Amino acid sequence: MIVLRILSRTKLYWGLAIICLIGALASPHTSSGRNIFLSFNNLTDVLRQVSITGLVATGMTLVILLGGIDLSVGSVMGFSTIICAMLLSQPGWTPASIVAVPAASIAAGLGVGFLTRFVFHGLARGRDVDAGRRNEIASGPWRSIRIPALLGLVCGGAVAVATASQVSTKFGVVAVLLVTPCVALALGAINGALIVAGRLQPFIATLAMMVSALGLGRLTAGQDNAVIAVYTGTNATQAFEVLRSMVWGILPMPSVFFLAAILIFGAVLRFTTFGRYIYAIGGNPEAAKLSGIKVAEVQLAAYMISGLLAGLAGVLFVAQYRQGKPDAGSGLELDAIAAVVIGGTSLMGGRGGLAGTFVGVLIFGLLSDILQLQNIDSNVQLLMKGLIIVGTVLVQEQNLGQLLTRWRGQAPLPPPTRTGSVEAYRPPSVVTKSAAREDIHEAS
Amino acid sequence: MGMTTHGVSIQEEMASTVQLDRRSSRDGGQPSDGHAVVLKAEAVSKTFAGVTALRDVDFDLRSGEVHALMGENGAGKSTLMKILAGVHVDYDGEIRIEDTPVRFSGVQDAERAGVAIIHQELNLVPELTAAENIFLGREPLILGTLVDHRRIVKAASALLKRLGIEIDAQRRIAELRIGEQQLVEIAKALSLDARILIMDEPTSALSTAECDTLFKVVRQLAQAGVAIIYTSHRLDEVLALANRVTVLRDGQPVLTAPIEGLSQGAIISAMVGREVTLTRRDSVARWGAPVLSVRDLTLDKVSSRGWRRVLQGVSFDVRPGEILGIGGLLGSGRTEILESVFGVARGWRDGEIAIDGEAVSINSAADACRLGVALVTEDRKALGLHISSTIRDNVALPSVGAASRFGVRGFAREAELATEMVEKLAVRCYGIDQIVATLSGGNQQKVAIGKWLATAPRVLLLDEPTRGIDVGAKQEIYQLIFGLAAEGLAIVVVTSEMPELLLLSDRVLVMCEGRQTGVLSGAEATQEAIMRLAAPGMSERVAP
Repeated sequence: MIVLRILSRTKLYWGLAIICLIGALASPHTSSGRNIFLSFNNLTDVLRQVSITGLVATGMTLVILLGGIDLSVGSVMGFSTIICAMLLSQPGWTPASIVAVPAASIAAGLGVGFLTRFVFHGLARGRDVDAGRRNEIASGPWRSIRIPALLGLVCGGAVAVATASQVSTKFGVVAVLLVTPCVALALGAINGALIVAGRLQPFIATLAMMVSALGLGRLTAGQDNAVIAVYTGTNATQAFEVLRSMVWGILPMPSVFFLAAILIFGAVLRFTTFGRYIYAIGGNPEAAKLSGIKVAEVQLAAYMISGLLAGLAGVLFVAQYRQGKPDAGSGLELDAIAAVVIGGTSLMGGRGGLAGTFVGVLIFGLLSDILQLQNIDSNVQLLMKGLIIVGTVLVQEQNLGQLLTRWRGQAPLPPPTRTGSVEAYRPPSVVTKSAAREDIHEAS
Repeated sequence: MGMTTHGVSIQEEMASTVQLDRRSSRDGGQPSDGHAVVLKAEAVSKTFAGVTALRDVDFDLRSGEVHALMGENGAGKSTLMKILAGVHVDYDGEIRIEDTPVRFSGVQDAERAGVAIIHQELNLVPELTAAENIFLGREPLILGTLVDHRRIVKAASALLKRLGIEIDAQRRIAELRIGEQQLVEIAKALSLDARILIMDEPTSALSTAECDTLFKVVRQLAQAGVAIIYTSHRLDEVLALANRVTVLRDGQPVLTAPIEGLSQGAIISAMVGREVTLTRRDSVARWGAPVLSVRDLTLDKVSSRGWRRVLQGVSFDVRPGEILGIGGLLGSGRTEILESVFGVARGWRDGEIAIDGEAVSINSAADACRLGVALVTEDRKALGLHISSTIRDNVALPSVGAASRFGVRGFAREAELATEMVEKLAVRCYGIDQIVATLSGGNQQKVAIGKWLATAPRVLLLDEPTRGIDVGAKQEIYQLIFGLAAEGLAIVVVTSEMPELLLLSDRVLVMCEGRQTGVLSGAEATQEAIMRLAAPGMSERVAP
């Protein structure tokens, strides 16, 4: 029993192991008899390829845990590649820099402002808790609006001056890495604002952003389907090449970003109040609201993070493919959602985590690698991907067991019970849904 | 035959208008004795994963009777009802319907045999009309393809009218009140030609008036020969409605007797297995200055017909250690008072709220939490708790921020709080990592209260604190509330149950149609006085 339970709890990792095994066994060999799949170059290539989807999937995980969805990440990423490529390759006030400089300044200003407030809030709160009084924390100057706002304005202004002075030349690596995600963050903030203040459903708000960001990207690029090439050393700084390089000869640079994002946001979900609130809101938004959680702020932040990571993915895309194009991320949102779902995160929210997403992303990456090594048609690959999604989710959600029992002609699940405490517990989301459906069928 | 004519005539009416698949042979040949045994269960046992839920239960049901099934949560009454209704199909023992042994393969099978169950959670589709719900999945068709709406409406209207229910069959379920929805469920069960009707806690969400309508229909059905199994936590209604009662305890029947000659106390003792006495708080200490003062609270809500005033000029004070009860009929604005004070009422709110004499603005739960106001909601599953999370996570949730530093959670502090609350409230659980959904109703309620006590509030608002909780656990919750008041908490309780209101309250504020019709002190507060103030059109008194 215990073995079974451990197996069932870790089935995702077993899936990954099995895929690796299949890859190793089925892999073609080089003329010198070496296994191509297991070769260092192949594995680092896989890591490099999954990193962009992985970054986006990381942000998507937060949003989905919250009970939302972000369809705009692909377009936002595409838009970011345009911004990044133009900043790198075109000096002066291009549409990209006109968008990017204010966005970066505002983001820096708000960021510093909130950070100040947060830090001093934390300092004071720690003191109050020690004193045993948790309620009614008076707001001092650092925690009130004035001083954080002042600091924010100063920092925002500094960023504005610094970036604007760079506009006449081309942007460097650090500047691009900071400025581009800020633009994407702003788009994420618009998503969040539409959902929080406009009370739009996440699907609709981000669908609108998905369409708009694509249009915005094309407008910024200047012509339809424009491809803005970035040749490091000729039309852009040579230093940009660092984003394609290997770190210490082991990890490709994009995967460093991906792994860092997984670790950082994994820690955020696990160890911070923000993470706890994400799970609480995803699990039961009404109960979370009535528990005194500021639901709107958490939602806004999650969509902003999703945008930010999409922007970062955009910069890495430009570095890997040496170009920026508006439709760089077409279909990316669906890949990201698929990876999240394969990782066991429930689309209903409140259940799942980043470890699953990490494995989900790897499963996808390894699978296409194996199929490519076998020279299998790319359309067959798509088909296989679809099957993998269905297969893993069936296993994940324990739907398979239910399906099997139904096929064997056994009784359907009993309807939800409020009084019976003897019955074995099942997650209520599963019980009520299927049972309600069952009862409708029964009544017919 | 007199007992069955009504039922038959409903069926004939139905048959004449709608093709229903049912066994026509049953319409004739009913036993002339109105008290014939229609259903008999012998030595029924059921275990869930090694846990015995029912052990050798003998149970019989006669036509035309209302048979109350009582027991604490987990005593096995739900399990028994579900076995009888074909929900649970693997059990030991025998069930006979009119001396024919049956073994249902599912709910549909049971329905074909004339057994219908109405679950506590109603199974209606909110966006369909009452008529469409009644015939859901069995719609009469034109030319075998198109749904015959006219016939559905006609048959449903006829059915509702026969039952003496004044509901427009063409209204959407979402527009109906819970009580009306309940009646639609009954109509649906009867349209299935049910002779045995199992009702699981039908009144748990109904107001007094709605209950009365329901009772009328139930009595009428019984007179027409339908046998009814009825469960409820409210003893008074069981005593008023049932002919016989069976009490289950720990999966075994401990009492089966006609209701005449049984006292409330006897049933409770049978259920709990020990004497239970409901005692009022002895002495009340002298109270200090009000913690919470509410002045001229008004609340307007947007409804389909424009703005509607749901609260008008409500004013009250609560002092530390005091329990203020809010009485009134369902829909009189009781819950809205609590929601307004807690800052989560939907709509336009006006009036003054002061904490410790200082005017405050509470516009969200976060504000209320910061100011030390806590609300334990009425619907603990949907609003109060994360039902599939652990006790630890639930208790700590409102305190996660307070227990954290620089946004990093204080896990140790959270666990400490959860443990503290579990001990203080005597929550029966394996540990703080038990999933809340696996707790009994009473213990879930304790977790819901503990979640707020962990924030060290000064004002505790309780909305229906004992809804859906069995008798033994109720008493514990009462003691708990008294204990909290003794610790100096100012408590406001809203409850639909009159005995509970009288028992708990030091003072009673009575609401009627959104207005405050009076505040009664302990001595003045009697059932009669409260009802007089609560009933619409009867109150001339103005708030003191």
